[in-house]
Amino acid sequence: MKTNVKLRDCNLFRLVCFIIIPLLFLVFCALQPKSYITGLVITAGIYIVLCASLNLINGFSGMFSMGHAAFMAIGAYLSAFLTLSANVKMNMTPGLPGWLIHAQLPFGVALIIGGLAAALVAVIIGFPVVRTKGHYLSVVTLALIVVVRAVIDNQDKLTSGSRGLKGIPTKSTILTVYIVVIITLFLLYRIVRSDYGRGLVAMRDDPTAAQTLGINLVKKKISCFAISAFFAGVGGGLWAHYLTAISGASFYFTKSFDIVEMSIIGGMFTLSGSILGALFYTVVPEFLAPLENGLRIGGLQLPSMFGLSNIIMALFLIFLIIFRRQGLMGRSELLLDSWFSKDTYLALFRKKDYARLAEGFLNLFRRKKKAES
Amino acid sequence: MKKIATLLLALAMVFALAACGAGGGNGGTDDASAAPTEEANGGGAAVTGDVIKIGGIFNVTGDQSSIDAPAQKAFALAVDEINANGGINGRKVEAVFYDGQTDTAVCASDAKKLIDNDGVIAIGGLSDSDYAYAAGAVAQEAGIPIVFSGATTPDIPDVVGNCAFMTAFGDDVCAHAAAEYLYNEMGARTVYVLTDTSMSYTSNLSAYFVERFKELGGEVTLEDHFSSGDYDFSAQIQRYLATGETDAMFMSTGPDDASTVIEQYRSAGATAPMISGDGWDADLWGVAGDLANKDVYVCTHYSTGDTSETVQHFIAAYTEKYGIAPENAFAALGYDCAQILFKAIEACGDDITAENIRTNIEAINGLVCTTGTISYTADNHVPDKTVVVTQSVDGALKFITNI
Repeated sequence: MKTNVKLRDCNLFRLVCFIIIPLLFLVFCALQPKSYITGLVITAGIYIVLCASLNLINGFSGMFSMGHAAFMAIGAYLSAFLTLSANVKMNMTPGLPGWLIHAQLPFGVALIIGGLAAALVAVIIGFPVVRTKGHYLSVVTLALIVVVRAVIDNQDKLTSGSRGLKGIPTKSTILTVYIVVIITLFLLYRIVRSDYGRGLVAMRDDPTAAQTLGINLVKKKISCFAISAFFAGVGGGLWAHYLTAISGASFYFTKSFDIVEMSIIGGMFTLSGSILGALFYTVVPEFLAPLENGLRIGGLQLPSMFGLSNIIMALFLIFLIIFRRQGLMGRSELLLDSWFSKDTYLALFRKKDYARLAEGFLNLFRRKKKAES
Repeated sequence: MKKIATLLLALAMVFALAACGAGGGNGGTDDASAAPTEEANGGGAAVTGDVIKIGGIFNVTGDQSSIDAPAQKAFALAVDEINANGGINGRKVEAVFYDGQTDTAVCASDAKKLIDNDGVIAIGGLSDSDYAYAAGAVAQEAGIPIVFSGATTPDIPDVVGNCAFMTAFGDDVCAHAAAEYLYNEMGARTVYVLTDTSMSYTSNLSAYFVERFKELGGEVTLEDHFSSGDYDFSAQIQRYLATGETDAMFMSTGPDDASTVIEQYRSAGATAPMISGDGWDADLWGVAGDLANKDVYVCTHYSTGDTSETVQHFIAAYTEKYGIAPENAFAALGYDCAQILFKAIEACGDDITAENIRTNIEAINGLVCTTGTISYTADNHVPDKTVVVTQSVDGALKFITNI
């Protein structure tokens, strides 16, 4: 029996590692909603939404946008306006139009409207933006962050200025965030697997060839920009309802760079990469935090070195860019392929999948032996 | 194979972290006796061992570090001092510090970590309201009292809830003091106001100042704005000079812009006295040099020239431990923030619970601190303190008067 079955190709293995275990973990978190670990998992979930939407534009369409924080801000503010009570808004943001002050919508609707507003802005600024390419496009999108920040800080009556919005209801729980994560990933997965998505990739790899094959580049770029902005807006809404207090300062360059960084770490050419990147970026600094506080190894007390985790992350990023430019996940869509395929779930009832799993394990040991000898 | 290895590695890390989380109060340290706490829900946390764990969140990296780092050092100094004196009612105090990284999300996560993993009974720290709201919401939900060392927006306790306390006076008090000093002591009748609109602190300060100055009968001739990080004030200066010099200038900027503002306005020929809030209790001389010694006034929390025993002791102890004098008033506030917590914990006796600490902070009356005398009531979590008006003389802030 000489086959080449690898463990990661076994449906059952995928089911256990990528679906059942994470799901159990989420349930474990959901049972202790206030704990620190739950907070981290929620943050990671929001970052997955943001990073996946950034990957659509940066990885698949080839336009390197840095303006995610701006779309986040729009989504965050608008969704917060829609869930805050009229009383609070009357005090904080008296300049809002009357209907918006009295509007109070369910969280899901507020998120979607926030996303749509971000998408609308993306369409409007899309026309000048898509005229630029490469670095110029990045700079233009960075400028968008500055514009949005200036509006937030200076339109006192509308946005409460730099004082920011406070007392936003806590609606981002494990359940709501991960429902949004799954929907977002599913939609994006379908998009990149559709002819629309293949068109995006074609445009990224060779715009001229794509155009000669009948792809309308401008339409494609603007729509892709808008889709990405929509999910960024939704992510921003989740963010606002998790932190409960937001201001222009929370959506500035650093936020954008954070998302770009996780996108690069995870791998920006796949959606699975965004998941890995977001998890990595949220979890690893937490492991480095004890180092900053002056770790005690045996009897040796290290001095506290605040900022160390940033330095280590930066060094890691540099090495990653040099030695593994495609990101940790590379070009494999392993995670989403397993999540959104019927086979993974049906494997539980198929005999041949159990056989494959056994084969996969056997192969693993064979390879190990080979490597040892 | 490599891919799968990385994936598994990531998963393993997530689970290792989960294990840490489940470990609860015994996570961070190897003090076996360290306060075994109940799961923090609704103020259920209590100290039963002989170590009292308190948390500190300070933004020691990022933009806020110039004010938060001294505050953290002073907080640590206070903890060392109380332990050297035998602790509180025979129990040692252990402070766990986390870096907020000048990021609201990190501050919130730090608060969660302190409460959940380290099992702290109370939290101190943070010198800016944006971060205070984020961390405060978490602490409030868990029922853990949180005392902000330097945050000055007076509505913090209203927004966060009854677990939040401030060490500093509110911006309203500071700005009103500036207005009163200008109007009553200096006799200024017209004033120019420059505001950094990118920070809630500076926007608030200007609004309160303008309100009070007009109330007193003064006139605000021109209000101008900029955004922190602009570094070039020529447009604002031109507008100011074009409208004509005023009796005084109220400059509402953060610590980072202070020296640049002074240098550019003074070099361009603006000679009116400048006054600002506690944000200017920073390095005014770095860029401006001697220009900063010309008619520059700062309304702040304390003055190093104060001869009271508390202040002099603090300065001496800080200098001895760190080799430099306290960098600014936020160090003094960090020190006081710790004193407030100690006082309340001491009043708990042997029944140290988060809720008891909270009520005991509310009961604090006339606690003499480096930045004034602090009292709270159940309805008022913002101490009513005097504002110290100082003048920049020969590279230092010299005490002028209390308001």
